[in-house]
Parts: sequence; C-alpha cells; structure tokens
Amino acid sequence: MTTDLPTPPRPETEPGVATAERGVVMLDGPDGIAATMTAAAARGTGQSLIAAAALAEEQLTGEQS
Amino acid sequence: MLTDRFLRDRRGVRLEAGERARLEASISETKTVDARRIIARAGDWLGQSTLLVEGIMSRYLDDRNGLRQLVAIHLPGDFVDLHAYPLKRLDHDVGTMTQVSIAIVPHVALDAITEEMPELTRKLWFATLLDAAIHRAWLFRLGRLDAIGRVAHFFCETNVRLQSAGLSDGREFMLGLTQADVAEICGLTTVHVNRVVRHLREEGLCTFRNGKVEILDPARLARRGQFDPSYLYIDDPDSSPPDDQRPRR
Repeated sequence: MTTDLPTPPRPETEPGVATAERGVVMLDGPDGIAATMTAAAARGTGQSLIAAAALAEEQLTGEQS
Repeated sequence: MLTDRFLRDRRGVRLEAGERARLEASISETKTVDARRIIARAGDWLGQSTLLVEGIMSRYLDDRNGLRQLVAIHLPGDFVDLHAYPLKRLDHDVGTMTQVSIAIVPHVALDAITEEMPELTRKLWFATLLDAAIHRAWLFRLGRLDAIGRVAHFFCETNVRLQSAGLSDGREFMLGLTQADVAEICGLTTVHVNRVVRHLREEGLCTFRNGKVEILDPARLARRGQFDPSYLYIDDPDSSPPDDQRPRR
C-alpha cells in the first residue's frame, strides 16, 4: 500500500519577527530560523531581504505578462 | 550495580538478571573524570566502550572556526560509545559535560557477548538504535522548530530520559548544564537561549535556574516543542507485543 508523501516545504507566507536585546538582533521564525546578529549584520540582512523581495515581485509580474 | 540504569524502562528490552550480571562482569574498570574533558577524539582507534554511570557526557563536532555543535548528550545509563565497537573509530569527539563516573567495557568482552548471548546482543543493538532515534529527533528539532520550540523540545526529551533513569520525578530534575551548553545543543546563541528561558518562565511553562529544570506545565511545554516521546521507546505495559511475537530467548 502506498500513500502520497507530504509536499516539499513551501515558501513561508508569514514574516519572521526581529527583536533587539542586549545589543544584538534576534530573528525568530518562520519555521526553523533562529538567528542572532549584530546590528550591522541585521541591517545588511534587512536591506538584502528588501532588495530580493522587490526582485521576486518583478519576476512574478514578468511571468504573468 | 553499575548497569542498573542501562535500558531501564525501555520497551521490551529490560535486561534479565543473567544478562545484567554478564554485562557487569564485562566491565574492566571504573573511572571518575572531571567536567569538560575529552574521552575519545574523532579518528582515534578504540578498543573499548564507555557506560555512563553518573553525570552528563556529549558528542560534538567543531566547525572550521572551532565553534562547537553538540550532536548528542548522554545521561546516566547510556552506553555512550557502543558505536565504537563495530566502528572502531568515531567521527566525532566524546567529552564530559559534568564530572562523570564511567565504566569501561573492553571490546573483547563485547566479542564474547556477541558470540554467546544473542538476546543480550540484540538489546545492545537496541541501545544504539535508540541513539539513532534520538539523533533523528535532534535533526527535526534543529530543522523545523523555532528557538522557543527547540529549547522546549530539549527540556521535554531530557525530562523523559532522566525519568526513565530514575533521575526525574517528571516535573523537576537537575541538569548540570549551562545556558551556553543549551545554546550549543539547540544551535542558538547564549543571548537567544537566555531570552527563550525567560519567555518559557513568563509563559508558565518551565524554569531553568542554577542547573535545575522545573516543568510547570508539561502538556503545554510538550505542545510548544512539538514533543512526542514515542521515539524514546519507554516501556508501556499496554503496548507489549503478544507472547508469540516476542523474540525467542
């Protein structure tokens, strides 16, 4: 007897939550993400995420046209 | 007896008196080792295995920067490097987390058990498979759970393992580890663990102070850590196999 395997992981639709404590930034979730960064690393990560999000949206627009 | 906690309360593999006596007789020496010492290094040839009698030990790997990831902890009653019997060389270091008492079992003694006592051999095999089951749970913990879930899962697992060894009443146990140790187990920084511990306390789930864990709400803590103890194969009289499916002795 066989059953369908669960689908592979899908992109998260819920944002992670960043907090600051004792001079560092902690990013929790989604899923297994649990990172601690310096303020500079967190800022760089944030800027990189925003730039990648804009690019991903452009890619989706391109696919639909 | 030195082996009293070995496979205690594990499903279907409780040692018979003769098996326990044989294991006891296989111990060549006992040692007390200080905390934070290396017992076996990756790549070393090993002609003996170590039964942990008291204390906590770990298996760990270092990254290229020398940062350590604990990949397993061992509690009293665990046959820590039974894997070394067939492997002869481990792919990781084994060290003490606290002061420990250990019993040494030479591999020649395990050779004799393997040749003469197939049922005890099956139980030793079970012990290594139990370690593998725990490794799978650790993979799940690191791969799928957030920071709070990881720590919650670790405390739940350790509570069940210590309860099986007679070292937890199910609500409270001494864990001779620091928040930095928990960080290395859960793949987190110490500041992250510190915040998680505070969160768990504020949510009324558990406390972790001075090496002591108190579980305030076991059901909610297990739910938060997605913890299901079935992989620990704790003895449950209601789930014993029928007599005709028990292994022949």
